[in-house]
Amino acid sequence: MNVPFSYLDRQFADIDAYLDDIRQLVLGGDFTLGAAVAEFEERFARLCDAPHAVGVGSGTDALTLPLRCAGLEPGDEVITTPMTFIATVGAIAMAGGRPVFVDSEDGFVIDPGKIEAAITPKTRAIVPVHYTGNVAAMPKIMDIAARNGLTVVEDACQAIGGRIEGMSVGSWGVAAGFSLHPLKNLNVWGDGGIVVTHSAELADKLRLYRNHGLKNRDEVVMFGPNSRLDSLQAVIGNRLIDEVDFITDRRIAIAARYDAALAELGDFVSVPERRAGVKHVFHLYVIRAQRRDELLAHLTAKGVEAKIHYPIPVHLQEAAQHLGYGRGDFPVSESDSESIITLPAHQHLTDEEVEYAVEAVRSFYLG
Amino acid sequence: MRTRDITVDIPYVDIVGQHAAIKDELLAAVAGVIDRGQFVLGEEVGEFERRFAELCGVDYAVGVNSGTDALILALQVLGIGPGDEVITAPNSFVATVSAVRLVGATPVFADVGDDYNIDPGRVAGAISGRTRAILPVHLTGRACAMDPLREIATAHGLPLIEDCAQAVLASYRGQGVGSFGAMGCFSLHPLKTLNACGDGGVLTTDDAELYEKLLYLRNLGLKTREDCIAWGHNSRLDTVQAAMVLVKLRYLEEWTAQRRANAAAYQAALADVAEVSYPLDDSVRESAYHTFVVEVEDRDGLKVYLQDCGIGTAIHYPTPIHLTTAGNELGYGSGAFPVAERQAKRILSLPVFAGLVPEQLERVCRSIRSYYH
Repeated sequence: MNVPFSYLDRQFADIDAYLDDIRQLVLGGDFTLGAAVAEFEERFARLCDAPHAVGVGSGTDALTLPLRCAGLEPGDEVITTPMTFIATVGAIAMAGGRPVFVDSEDGFVIDPGKIEAAITPKTRAIVPVHYTGNVAAMPKIMDIAARNGLTVVEDACQAIGGRIEGMSVGSWGVAAGFSLHPLKNLNVWGDGGIVVTHSAELADKLRLYRNHGLKNRDEVVMFGPNSRLDSLQAVIGNRLIDEVDFITDRRIAIAARYDAALAELGDFVSVPERRAGVKHVFHLYVIRAQRRDELLAHLTAKGVEAKIHYPIPVHLQEAAQHLGYGRGDFPVSESDSESIITLPAHQHLTDEEVEYAVEAVRSFYLG
Repeated sequence: MRTRDITVDIPYVDIVGQHAAIKDELLAAVAGVIDRGQFVLGEEVGEFERRFAELCGVDYAVGVNSGTDALILALQVLGIGPGDEVITAPNSFVATVSAVRLVGATPVFADVGDDYNIDPGRVAGAISGRTRAILPVHLTGRACAMDPLREIATAHGLPLIEDCAQAVLASYRGQGVGSFGAMGCFSLHPLKTLNACGDGGVLTTDDAELYEKLLYLRNLGLKTREDCIAWGHNSRLDTVQAAMVLVKLRYLEEWTAQRRANAAAYQAALADVAEVSYPLDDSVRESAYHTFVVEVEDRDGLKVYLQDCGIGTAIHYPTPIHLTTAGNELGYGSGAFPVAERQAKRILSLPVFAGLVPEQLERVCRSIRSYYH
């Protein structure tokens, strides 16, 4: 049996409807910030219980643009965690900020207890990452931000549908950036991202900023990039957005099954605590495992497409050398990056495939 | 399918007509991408890059998310940033200048000539100790005066970055634009002559080292899935867009020939209209005619009149960048670039798209004539 990590093949099982939509778009020629984008933005905002959503070119840009619009200036420090995809840090750097890292905690999100020690007079913002689809401790983070006058931009690239204390991701910070990359829970067929905000002022600014600062065809009010969600991608998003609840529920159910089965392997694997009040949407199902690399090879040989997200914490990447961090600075992230493994958990997996993956892990440790 | 009555409306551009004619090929290309399932940097991107490099006569091309990003990446890969100055023209689309500002550098303008392109005679005077690059814009699809620009750049040890956003297939002394400087930056925006069905851009270069760096800078600094060697953007040409642009490449030479024929027809038909002038073609430069821009008396009156005749026109661009709200911060005032400022009040872009038929073009010329006489 093969248990694939990517679900795209199964998304294509019935593609005629998508192709019909694309045909209509191609014939209509409404390729740039067209009706499909406006519709997708409205529906995405509703999904996040937010008044505004602004489609942009990528999840990375969905972080870069709000940071720039929040007035980040060169040299300003932005706090995040090294347990993330490098795009979080790339976005901070592209916005002109200096990334400052704080260690992660058991659930692979920033440890709120360690944030205040990292704040300096140059700190301007915090970018908590809802990594793997788990939700960072937003109430505590917002308290810290309020006490220190910091802007919060949530990295929700992996966390569409996530909630904490009943509130959607994107409800906490001044903005949240989401990714629509082809492997995300809600995906499009290329690069795409979207920013959610509760600030009408920021939404207006983002709409200008993503589109060259153009107030209309002829009037430029600020120098901005070109970072627009393509209409073509919005067309795909509009088809798939109806499925988000199904996608999320199915991923949560698969994760629950893994959690229960892996509890029996407590001597060998460690499943993060599932915090009360958090709706974890399991973009990635990640555990810590003994003899991780051997387990990965075993699963791969069995046809279970496990992955590692990621083997190198961001502060130890070559790109981060100029920041002056070294091994030992963030022990939790460093230790986790040596033991984490991601099991397939996407919405198109069958129960049988999930049981097969469970059995493959069990057989590795128990023979 | 709607029918178009050429006696009624002549649009400025006809995106719908362009795509209707090739819709089956485009859809087949999209279906091919779905079959392979590689939406990010899939094989169509590589194929497009190879074909585009060949078209421009360079060794390498790199597909990115937009023409603006092509400029940003070109500046970044050369290490241009805060404190550095980049010399360019004030009459481009704003993105040329935005790119310079977004990397933190300062745009310094040199006025343009009668051909709407940067005046090489004024570039030398704009060079300072902080100048790090010259960014000529091949506006309207006509190449800048590349020989003198290269001489200046070489004399001062400055790289040339060509803004080719409007100039696919434009040439200078038989050499394609995008092959003169360190890099050429092209746009695949839906209104361009080679257009994606969404945003897209592409860089060209002969420099293997720059090419390698551009490959990782557009892809978050990733050298492999796991090794990040520099902070970078996510700026990749979508595979789906590359697949559709590959379809259009089959037609590009034909479309460009039609634009050139349209431009030649306008030039012949409007030669004796004293109120209308336009840059003349010469033996050195072959324009791609992304736009056919004329300078006219009473521009705003003519534009309204043509609109009333059902003829769409456009202005590229009504406000020079230094006089826009965004441009205030650059500290130039009115009068700083008299040629560009005068042209901005007089220029008008006439329909020149590939599907424009002779009867339509003749009607545009007749209407212009009747406005003045």
